[in-house]
Amino acid sequence: MDVLEGLAAFVWPKSLHKAQPYLMLLPAVVLVGVLVLGLFQIGDASLRTLDTSTFRMSEYYTLANFERALSERFFTTVAGRSLIGAAIVTLITLILAFPYAYLMVRTQSSALRKFLLVALFLPFFIGQVVRAYGWLIILGNQGMVNEALGLVGVSPLRLLYNYPAVLFGLVQYMLPFAVLMLAPALTAIPAELEAAAGSLGANWVRTFRHIVLPLARPGLIGAGLVVVTLSLTDFAIPAILGGGTQDFIANAIYDQFFRTSDQGMGATLTLLLVAVGSILVGLVFMLFGAGTLAMTGDRK
Amino acid sequence: MTGGLSKSIVIWAFVAAALVMLSAPTIVVLGASFTAGNMITFPPEGLSLKWYGAILQEAGLRQAFVRSLIVATICTVIAVPIGTLAGIALAKYRVRFARSFQIYLLLPFTIPLIGSGIGMMLVFGNMGVLGSLWPVGIACCVINLPFMIWAVTASASNLNPDLELAAASCGAPQLQCFFYVTLPAVMPGIITGSLLMFILAINEFLVSLLLTDARSVTLPVQIYNSIRSIITPDLAAISVVFIAVAAAAIVALDRLVGLDIFLKSK
Repeated sequence: MDVLEGLAAFVWPKSLHKAQPYLMLLPAVVLVGVLVLGLFQIGDASLRTLDTSTFRMSEYYTLANFERALSERFFTTVAGRSLIGAAIVTLITLILAFPYAYLMVRTQSSALRKFLLVALFLPFFIGQVVRAYGWLIILGNQGMVNEALGLVGVSPLRLLYNYPAVLFGLVQYMLPFAVLMLAPALTAIPAELEAAAGSLGANWVRTFRHIVLPLARPGLIGAGLVVVTLSLTDFAIPAILGGGTQDFIANAIYDQFFRTSDQGMGATLTLLLVAVGSILVGLVFMLFGAGTLAMTGDRK
Repeated sequence: MTGGLSKSIVIWAFVAAALVMLSAPTIVVLGASFTAGNMITFPPEGLSLKWYGAILQEAGLRQAFVRSLIVATICTVIAVPIGTLAGIALAKYRVRFARSFQIYLLLPFTIPLIGSGIGMMLVFGNMGVLGSLWPVGIACCVINLPFMIWAVTASASNLNPDLELAAASCGAPQLQCFFYVTLPAVMPGIITGSLLMFILAINEFLVSLLLTDARSVTLPVQIYNSIRSIITPDLAAISVVFIAVAAAAIVALDRLVGLDIFLKSK
C-alpha cells in the first residue's frame, strides 16, 4: 500500500488536486464522445445523396435528402404512425403504471411489495426479443389464443402483424420503465395528506384527483417523457409484432441502411428523429423544469 | 391503506391487468420450452426436456450465447471504473459547469437508441473494426452508462463527507482514504450499477444488430433472425437462459442491496 501511495503521490502531485474531479470525469466524457462523434458522422452522411448508377455517396453536400424525407408520402406515413402510436402507448402505459406504482409504494405488506417488484423487474431484465417471442407464441395464427378459441369453435383471429399488436407490445415493454419512474415520486407524497383529505370528507376519487395526481405530476411527466421517446424510437417490437407491415421510424432507418443501402437517406431520417426527440425533451424541460429527468441528481 | 373497498377493487383491477401483461410472455416461454411436441401448441402435448438437449447440439446458438457473455463482460468491466469515478466526482465535488456535465453525460438517454447505434456503427465502420466483439461491448457501455453513474451518485450522496475528513485528519493518505472510506460507502451503488450494466448488455438487441455481422451475432440477434423464419420450441428453450439470468440478477440485487432502493424518493 505504501508503495502505491508513493506512486500515487508521484503521478498525482498536490498541484493537480484542483483538477481531480475533472480528471475523474474525463474517461466518461471520452466514452460518451464516441456517441457525439457518431452524431457528427450522421450529420455528414445526411448531406450526401446516393448515386444510383455507381452506388456511391456524393462528394458534394446537398439538402436533397431532407427535402425527400419531408415530402415523400412513405416517410410521412411512417412518422405519423410512430408519433400517434407513441402518444397512445404513453397514455395507456401511464394509466396502467400509476395504480401499480401506487399499490407498490403504499401497501403495508412487504411480501406484496416484493412480489410486485419482482414481477416488474423480471420482464425488464429479459429483453425485448424474448418478450416479443412470447407474444408470438400467445397471439400467433397457430398461437395459444387461437388454439383455445378453436376448441370452442371460433375461427382463428388475426391478432398479430397489425397496429394494435405493436401498440400492445410497446405498452408491455414500457410498463416497467413507467412504474420505476413513478414510484419515487409517489413515495415522496406523505400518506398523511390522503388521510387528511379523507377525514375532511373527500372520497378516494376526489383525494386522488386533487391530492395524489397533482403531487405526482413530476413523476408523471418524467415517466411520460421516457415512455414517449422510447416507444417513438423503438425498433424490435414493430419489427417482430408488426411483421414488416407496421414499420416505425427506426425500422425505416434500418431499411435505408441495410436494404436500400442509402446511407444518406438513413442518416437524414436518423437526424430528424434525434431532432424530434431533443425537441420533445427540451419542451418538457422548458415547461416543467429541468429536474424532471436529472437522474444524476442535483444535490449540490 | 386509506379509502374503502371500491378503491381497492379499482386499483387491483388495474394491477391485475398489468401483472398479466408483464408476466404472460415469460410464463408462456417457460412453458413452451418444456413441450414434447414439435410445434408450440395449446394445450401442450406433454412435458420433455428434449428442446434443451436440442439447443446444446446447436453450435450457432451456443456460440452466440458465449458472444453475448463476452460483450456483457466487456461492457461491465469498462463501465464500473469509469462510471464510478464520474459518479463520485459529480456527487462529491463542487464541479464547475456541473449542470453541463450532467446534460452531456445524459446524452446516451436523450439520443434515441437507433441514432446512437447508427452513429457508432459509422464510427466503428470507418475505423474498420466492425465484426469484432469489443466495439459492441463499448457501444453497450456507452448507451447504458447513465445507469451506472446514476447508481453511484445515488449512493455517494449517502456518504458523509466528515468521514473522509476524519480519515484524512487521522493521517490517511489519499489512496487509503479512497479505498477504505469512499469506495465502501458507494459499494451498493457500484453493485447495482454493474448488475444493471451486465444485464442490459447481455440483452441488448438493436445496437448488437447494427454492429454485428453474420459471423459475430449475439444471442438476441440470433433469436431475432430465427424468429423470422419459423417458430420452434428450441428458441423458447434458449430464451429460458435469459429468464434464468434475469432471475439470478434480481436475486443478487435483492440480496446485496435490496430491491426497495428503486422506490426511494430522491
